[in-house]
Amino acid sequence: MLPLLDILIWSLAGVLFGSLISWIPGFHIFNIMALLVAVFGVGELMPVQAFPFFAIGAIVAYAYVSAISSVYFSVADESAVFLLFPTQRYLLLGRGHEAVLLYLIGAVAGTLILVIGALFIFPKVLPPIYQATSPYITYFLTAIVLFMFMSEWPKEGDRGKTPFQRLWMAWRQILGGLLVFLLSGILGFIVMNTNLLPTTSAYTRLTPMFIGFFGMSWVLLNILSNPPMLEQVPDDRIESSPYNIAKASFGGALGGTIAAVYPIITGGMGALIAGHMTSQRGDDAFIISQGVNRVIYYVGAFTLLFLPNLRLTRGAAAWLVSSIYTPKSYAEYLAAVGVILLSAGISFVFTYYISKFLARSFNIVHIRKLSYFVAITLVIISYVLTGPMGIVVLLVSTAIGMMAAAFNTRRSYCLGGLILPVLISMTGHTGEVMHLLGLG
Amino acid sequence: MRGFTHYISGLAAATFFPALVADLRMGILIPVIAAAAAYFPDFVDFKFGKFFSRRDYEIDPAPWDDKKHYAPKLVKVAELNEKNRYQFFAVQGKVSEIVERGEDTLVFKMIDENGNVKTVEKPYKSIIFKLTDETGTITVEAFGEDYDFFEEEFGEIAFGKEMLVFGYVDVDDDGIKLVVSDAPHPQGIAETIAKAIEEAYEKGETIVKIHNIRLPGDVYRRFFIHLDPPKREVRVEMGPIVTPGGVAIGGEVPDYRRVGIAKVSVPFIKTYPKPTRVDSFSGPEIAFRKAEFKGKTVVKDRFLPWHHGFSHSLTMGIIIGIVVFAFFKLIGYAHATELALAAMIGQWLHVFEDQLGFMGSNLLPPITKDVIPGFKLGESGSGLTNFSTAWLMIAFMIWNFNRFTDPRPIPIADWKLLLLLAWPSIIGFAIAIVKSFRLRKEISQLMDYYTNLEAFEEMEEVGGI
Repeated sequence: MLPLLDILIWSLAGVLFGSLISWIPGFHIFNIMALLVAVFGVGELMPVQAFPFFAIGAIVAYAYVSAISSVYFSVADESAVFLLFPTQRYLLLGRGHEAVLLYLIGAVAGTLILVIGALFIFPKVLPPIYQATSPYITYFLTAIVLFMFMSEWPKEGDRGKTPFQRLWMAWRQILGGLLVFLLSGILGFIVMNTNLLPTTSAYTRLTPMFIGFFGMSWVLLNILSNPPMLEQVPDDRIESSPYNIAKASFGGALGGTIAAVYPIITGGMGALIAGHMTSQRGDDAFIISQGVNRVIYYVGAFTLLFLPNLRLTRGAAAWLVSSIYTPKSYAEYLAAVGVILLSAGISFVFTYYISKFLARSFNIVHIRKLSYFVAITLVIISYVLTGPMGIVVLLVSTAIGMMAAAFNTRRSYCLGGLILPVLISMTGHTGEVMHLLGLG
Repeated sequence: MRGFTHYISGLAAATFFPALVADLRMGILIPVIAAAAAYFPDFVDFKFGKFFSRRDYEIDPAPWDDKKHYAPKLVKVAELNEKNRYQFFAVQGKVSEIVERGEDTLVFKMIDENGNVKTVEKPYKSIIFKLTDETGTITVEAFGEDYDFFEEEFGEIAFGKEMLVFGYVDVDDDGIKLVVSDAPHPQGIAETIAKAIEEAYEKGETIVKIHNIRLPGDVYRRFFIHLDPPKREVRVEMGPIVTPGGVAIGGEVPDYRRVGIAKVSVPFIKTYPKPTRVDSFSGPEIAFRKAEFKGKTVVKDRFLPWHHGFSHSLTMGIIIGIVVFAFFKLIGYAHATELALAAMIGQWLHVFEDQLGFMGSNLLPPITKDVIPGFKLGESGSGLTNFSTAWLMIAFMIWNFNRFTDPRPIPIADWKLLLLLAWPSIIGFAIAIVKSFRLRKEISQLMDYYTNLEAFEEMEEVGGI
């Protein structure tokens, strides 16, 4: 194990790195870390044993600071063709800073739950539960996907003149979601199972696809909607209650844990399950639970790599790091828990002050200009990681991401790009689907 | 219970069959059908039944703009008529005449903090002018706090001024007019509901669909519908603007157009002791049915009449079991019998879980004809009962996976493992049961108030309403 001082230095470098890039809309820490490894490599500038600690600092920072981009840089105009996220509504009401504060409350609760869990619960409880349930992961995954489709709430359909008109208005949204899932799935299947992207991009071949689904489509919506830059209230004031905070923290922790432990199940899917299980309602509760969920999902999943009696590789960052160095001892596990606490403290302060600054000066630089800059950067990242074909994948996945918005359906259906190929592979049908698509 | 609670019950039901668990271990995912069967009743009701449900009265306080899908709808003057009374619209036009500027004294009813209706008089500024577009001319009236806002927004209203006016339609001796406001008037909702109750008393049943009020920015105007049987009145109260998450963000309407009250000439009872709240997602349907209550003929309400019908019966579970068995036997699935049983049990669990709440279900049609009231353990949205049930199902799944695997991944006695896994649910249910006693007492007191038929008789003796 590295000396404690080195661990501190490298994890602080990770926090700084994560904090500096995580507030930018469309940037994801996993993509940037992959870019870092691709361009600079690890082992020359940084010792390989330091990489997990650098990564955990960066991931903690991302889990905190990315609140800034989701609150301030995902603004929508009033056309309301697309439904708004609670954070977007807060911004339209001039309460962006309050949304960040609610998120931070959740993130701190998530950090505390994670640290307590990591110290006292995970080492004892997770291994046997995981061992008993892991052969049935495909069952859970299929069940969640089916539930996503069955439970899609029709947002229109009430006002049709005839029953069939009402039915069609409701079902076009549901069918739109199905189409998005299938198209994402086909794209993901092609990207994963063909040599469309260069073999040198082994660890980053899904990057342009995810940038398109969730990053680029978001940035393009910002550009197209040309949102108003409304004055924001920078006061440290929130409207919630201790009961809501406790309930949201519980729900967020539940969803985050499910997503962190089981492969392919993402934070959004975990939140969907936990939200239903705990019957959550209220924008404040939603934002708080997002904070808890994202910390446990991102940081918790990565922490599992350090757990010696389980050592699960969950998430793109864990795969990237484990390809270079996997921590082995309890000492490293405990050091990682310490790094989480330290990084969370720094990230909290960073997020708070960025939010305060942005709330005061929100209308100085228009989000449209920032979005142009980010769009170009995302294209460059895709090109550097995966070459010209990566740009093609980026364009297709962006179109699919935009379709989800146009159909007014769940953006998470784009996860079909990951879920469908994995399900096909897990059930042993890859060859048949390759044949069906004329690929082999 | 919430959808996922039912769904996960079906997932758990499948794990009680060792043959299905063995299939799952081998990557055969067919047993997920049991979860779909458990969710099926809600799926059918909310994805199909709701759209085919009959609507005798359709109340749309604020019709949507066709392009923007929110209110107020931008209309031409010629499109408005008396049927639109109290509905919320927007009209774009030019001021063609100032009819009157002045001060008025408004007289209106409002509900005080104790729920009593009182009459209030207030002096207010007002303006009446004509607004003309290419299809005609309409009288526009602004008064009170709406006048202040209107003047603040447009400056002084003068001849020739182009403006977009929004407000509710009203009717007087001179025809229709547009009253400047930021919400529809609740009187229209109250009157239509009262009419539907009276008609149900004559005809046997009427169904009312009440649309919600969606405003720009994905926010909603909340309103409450109070049915007050002893007073024989329907009261509708306009509330604040709220987000889909239910957070109020201001926009309270002035007192003089906050409440609409309509009297009902027939006796009715309310089966659920809380006012109906309408805000985000979609508005409710309420059926009013003629029924016998304590020897009297009354009208009884039923929330979402298309929900908890045949789809939520044990009979439907048997049908699902038969269909699943027939289909999977036909395609040669080796464990069709176990799957059919799991699917049937999953659907039955849904019915049982819903029976724990308020609405109840028609359990065994055609043997039973009407809904059997729920056990009132908690409301369908209760986090406590939803979590306790869902967690219990997770516990069952882990327990079953463990006991049907050889060697067992968690090598402890079955009863001990189940207890270790299920303790959060046991505590949750215990709390829910304790709370339900308090709730039942409260409901019983409220129902006594709502169903006080003697009060009807007294009122009738002194001349009725």
